[in-house]
Amino acid sequence: MTLLSVRDLTVKFKTRESSVTALDGISFDIARGERVGVVGESGAGKSITGFALMNLLSRPGYIDGGQILFEGQDVTKMTPKQVRAMRGNRMAMIFQDPMVTLNPVLTIGQQMIETLRAHRKLSKEEARQIALVKLKEVYIPSPEARLDQYPHELSGGMRQRIVIAIALLLDPQLIIADEPTTALDVTIQADIMDLLLEMCRSNMVGLMLITHDLGVVSQVTERTMVMYAGRIIESGRTRSIINDPQHPYTQGLINALPQQTPPGSRLKQIPGTMPTLSAMPQGCPFHPRCALATDECRAVMPPLTQYGEVQVACHEVQRLHRELAKMEAAQ
Amino acid sequence: MLQYTFRRTLAVLPTIICLIVICFFLMRLAPGGPFTSERPLPPAIMANVLERYGLDQPLHVQLWTYLKNIFFHFDFGPSFSQRDRDVNDIIAAGFPVTLTYGFWSAVFVLALGIPLGIIAALRQNSLWDYIMTGFAIFSQIFPNFVLAPLMVLTFTLAWGLLPGGGWNGGQWEYVIMPAVALGTSYLANVARITRSSLLEVLGAPYIRTARAKGLAERTILWRHALKPTLLPVISYMSPVFVYMITGSVFIDVFFSTGGIGQSFIDAAYTRDYSVILGLAILYSVLTFVLNLGVDLAYAAIDPKVRSGLK
Ligand SMILES: Nc1ncnc2c1ncn2[C@@H]1O[C@H](COP(=O)(O)OP(=O)(O)OP(=O)(O)O)[C@@H](O)[C@H]1O
Ligand SMILES: [Mg+2]
Repeated sequence: MTLLSVRDLTVKFKTRESSVTALDGISFDIARGERVGVVGESGAGKSITGFALMNLLSRPGYIDGGQILFEGQDVTKMTPKQVRAMRGNRMAMIFQDPMVTLNPVLTIGQQMIETLRAHRKLSKEEARQIALVKLKEVYIPSPEARLDQYPHELSGGMRQRIVIAIALLLDPQLIIADEPTTALDVTIQADIMDLLLEMCRSNMVGLMLITHDLGVVSQVTERTMVMYAGRIIESGRTRSIINDPQHPYTQGLINALPQQTPPGSRLKQIPGTMPTLSAMPQGCPFHPRCALATDECRAVMPPLTQYGEVQVACHEVQRLHRELAKMEAAQ
Repeated sequence: MLQYTFRRTLAVLPTIICLIVICFFLMRLAPGGPFTSERPLPPAIMANVLERYGLDQPLHVQLWTYLKNIFFHFDFGPSFSQRDRDVNDIIAAGFPVTLTYGFWSAVFVLALGIPLGIIAALRQNSLWDYIMTGFAIFSQIFPNFVLAPLMVLTFTLAWGLLPGGGWNGGQWEYVIMPAVALGTSYLANVARITRSSLLEVLGAPYIRTARAKGLAERTILWRHALKPTLLPVISYMSPVFVYMITGSVFIDVFFSTGGIGQSFIDAAYTRDYSVILGLAILYSVLTFVLNLGVDLAYAAIDPKVRSGLK
């Protein structure tokens, strides 16, 4: 059953003279309880996608078109009151760095209780009890004492557990996690990711996991979307994307993984860098870095096309499939 | 917190003693004395006078007597130039005046500056914002020694609304102009600092978190943004508080309030050692008390500072 259905979502940033396009008409679905990974290089538009879903874009960013149907309601058309009722309640977001995403002058308890009371009619004491239960669920030792502590008194890992507990407070249907472990100590990254996975599984919560880390994506998610320069250029089952990437960009990402490189040799990075929003090339945005680029790639933007279970936006892939089909027909 | 206050107080005592000693010697180093005049006194009378004030004693004895009187009798000694008055009387007469309008000036600055800054930040680039910026520039062009005469011209001479000087026991009509003239430029700064601080805080990740939790904008502003916003304002106000009470010499003289600034000027002209010294000590103690107050306010807002105090 579809929980979230995004259609032709376009996000722009106002600049001095005109505006630049940060998300160029992306479409995707997330089913109830489904875990979807969003990967891509820095600046691809992953965070912007997350913010747009929560209607959290702030000036100069704005949604320029498209639909975000969440539980049947279009987020882009909600009143501010409806948006507030959704945020933190039906759809929650976890941000990157727990050192700065919790308010330093409020206690953990205050920050949890206010969230509960913003959405439900609860007394402070009732809210406190719920907060305690959630802290226990995310394996926080002596939760009673934590409630009265300030963020700076806790370790990074502990803080991110609390952030997860806050996201889970009102039993949301969807959690958007924007690089939830990147800012943490390497030794606890896996713990936090396991916790997030366990929480989503046991509560049947949908997860949109934004990350650079393809390893994490393959462990946690069922489906993956690859973003490049404000578009989705490949999407499908995580296993097939990792094992059999179609788009040259995705292939490049996978080949650049340390596991794919023989020990001692250099990592195979994709040459070049992603174009900036204000200087998008004609045609496929990846063509300046693509070894397979043709004149068609330089002129025409390839549409995201369905091939069996995967969607890919690439002329070369399209040509391959066309030839395959021809060969099959000839046989 | 109490323990911290106590520790700070103990720590500052040596500083104040050093300050007294240094001021004491500096004063004696300067040429001339309280009894130097165009027509020298006959030597016999001079000796008499010096003996009366203890100035015939060796310096270290003078210093010791001075310190002893301050710390054991809270007595800053007699004034050298005003017969029959001692320093304690002079401070007791002038200080409450300066403190009163200094206090109201601080209230004026904070009670107006902070809300103005908040409004300007929330309505960024609106008419309000521009009015405030204009006001900030205005107050920089008109420091208190320009503003005070302008105010007197307007409110006293042209409209006859407020008395142009005097104190009259601190009735509000007499307090208002000194307080406003003294505070206006700080008011503009406080508004400016509040504005930029709030804008910065509103862009902070934890405010985004608060929005993502579905809190109302009002809650976000008052609960999440206000306290962190005030921290730079408090830092800024720390030296300003001191200056408002100590640096108001101009206001005291211009408005003839009879405040402590007037006594300072008089004492400097007449080389009234004991008054100058007494005031210097008063100012340094004030500086200490106000700084301590600011630090405590900081700790009250910022839990990180608070746990650092323990
Ligand atoms: N306030 C802004 N004004 C203009 N452009 C912006 C603004 N914020 C983000 N962008 C642009 O939007 C694009 C997408 O940014 P986004 O933060 O979504 O990238 P990302 O994929 O999350 O990257 P990262 O992995 O570094 O987090 C980037 O090119 C960025 O430059
Ligand atoms: Mg990002």
